[in-house]
Amino acid sequence: MILMKIDPNLPIKMCVGGSLSEMVCRPTAPYSREAITFLSALSRSLLMRSDSRQYPDVASFAYWCRSANLSRLARDFDSCHKRIGRGLVLHIAPSNVPVNFAFSLAFGILSGNANIVRVPEAAQPQKQILTEAMGRLLKDPGHAYIASMNRIIQYPRDDGITSALSKCANARVLWGGDQTIAHLRALPTSPRCVDIAFADRYSMAVIDAESVLDEDDRGIQKLAIGFYNDVYLQDQNACSSPHLIIWHGTTSQTEQAKARFWLTLQTLLHLKYKIAPSYAVDKFVHLCRTADLLKEAQDCVWHENNLYRVRLKDLPADIEHHRGFAGFFYEYTTNDLNCLKIIVGARYQTVTCFGLNRQELAQRVVDWGLTGVDRIVPVGQALDIGVIWDGYDLIGTLSRIVHSP
Amino acid sequence: MNHREKYDAAFIETFMLEVKDLTGLKYQDAPAWDSVGHMQLMAALEESFGIELDIDDIIEFSSYEVGIAIFSKYNIEIDPPK
Repeated sequence: MILMKIDPNLPIKMCVGGSLSEMVCRPTAPYSREAITFLSALSRSLLMRSDSRQYPDVASFAYWCRSANLSRLARDFDSCHKRIGRGLVLHIAPSNVPVNFAFSLAFGILSGNANIVRVPEAAQPQKQILTEAMGRLLKDPGHAYIASMNRIIQYPRDDGITSALSKCANARVLWGGDQTIAHLRALPTSPRCVDIAFADRYSMAVIDAESVLDEDDRGIQKLAIGFYNDVYLQDQNACSSPHLIIWHGTTSQTEQAKARFWLTLQTLLHLKYKIAPSYAVDKFVHLCRTADLLKEAQDCVWHENNLYRVRLKDLPADIEHHRGFAGFFYEYTTNDLNCLKIIVGARYQTVTCFGLNRQELAQRVVDWGLTGVDRIVPVGQALDIGVIWDGYDLIGTLSRIVHSP
Repeated sequence: MNHREKYDAAFIETFMLEVKDLTGLKYQDAPAWDSVGHMQLMAALEESFGIELDIDDIIEFSSYEVGIAIFSKYNIEIDPPK
């Protein structure tokens, strides 16, 4: 067993697990029995809690790591090669999506690694629920191995600490804005350290007008709920929440489709969404700024504070610099999806689709040789994070191949 | 427990119901069977029967009775109560 050589005097608060110097770092094959047993026990304990109803993001994480899903992932994983975790993975978790630290840790555990996860210091009930549930389970002697390999920690921004941890890491999973990522990547690491960086991304939705018009009321309701979940559950702050909406179809089709879709969404927003007062003010200021800076903006349809729609008469190549929040969208209508070639760059992550063939669209991304778009998913699945994320095969990247040809 | 008892137990424990409430029960009929409750129910059923439900079946699973029909695709026959 290799014990971690980390200075025990570093001012680090342990959220889950004992001191870092007692940590064990002995990698295993991906999808080990211990990993699956622990995560499915975590899933059960989270799904049983009454407060998981209050936090659908916690419930979604719990549901993702249920045993049936993990068994399926294990079965679908690379069986051509013998694989083992890289060793120690350092995760710097994001603050914009509270449950992502748990996904990051789960990816590290499933790929067979020891993990140190730094969580944001901000008080987040989801973080509280998840760390408490993990901490309790890891006290069970049945999970002793996972307990010895994993820590969740907190410390104020401190390059000294991050550097000390980075030097020990065999891989790092870095979540944050472009500046944070650039800063973290400049810190010294071991020469073979692999970084997976989840930086700022831009996402959009492409909706086919004819399909919206062909759908029955139940289908439109479902579409609106899916869109609501993609956008409003995280106040449009998730990387995969759409900012730009491309309506595909003729002018008359799209006008009818928009009227139908937005009306349904509005009804839903009345029932479900309460915008924070500060956001309401910021959105209006943002609209004024957009009117000033975005010359392609034609007008804005303002449905109370919950929903702003800026209509674009042309699609500027740099539209990715225009983002919304808490329900602020840029809409463009076209009959020709070749317009994607002009706008898509490396920052583009998710395209949520309705009424279009996703396989065909994925093929176009490849045929056009685009540098962006890593995911094409149905409307409603924007936030469904998984072992393939941001164009990475996470379990593959966090493990290494022991090649014996 | 036979299949019927296991199937019923998942509903009863997840949604805090009684056996008499189950016949005709549909998604969103019981306050606890909302979108989160649905995840809880699917996880409980998969766990209890040791199966992996297909994503389409999870979406289609809209009532107690529809669930019984879906389960027959997995070769799990849920007999009517005696």
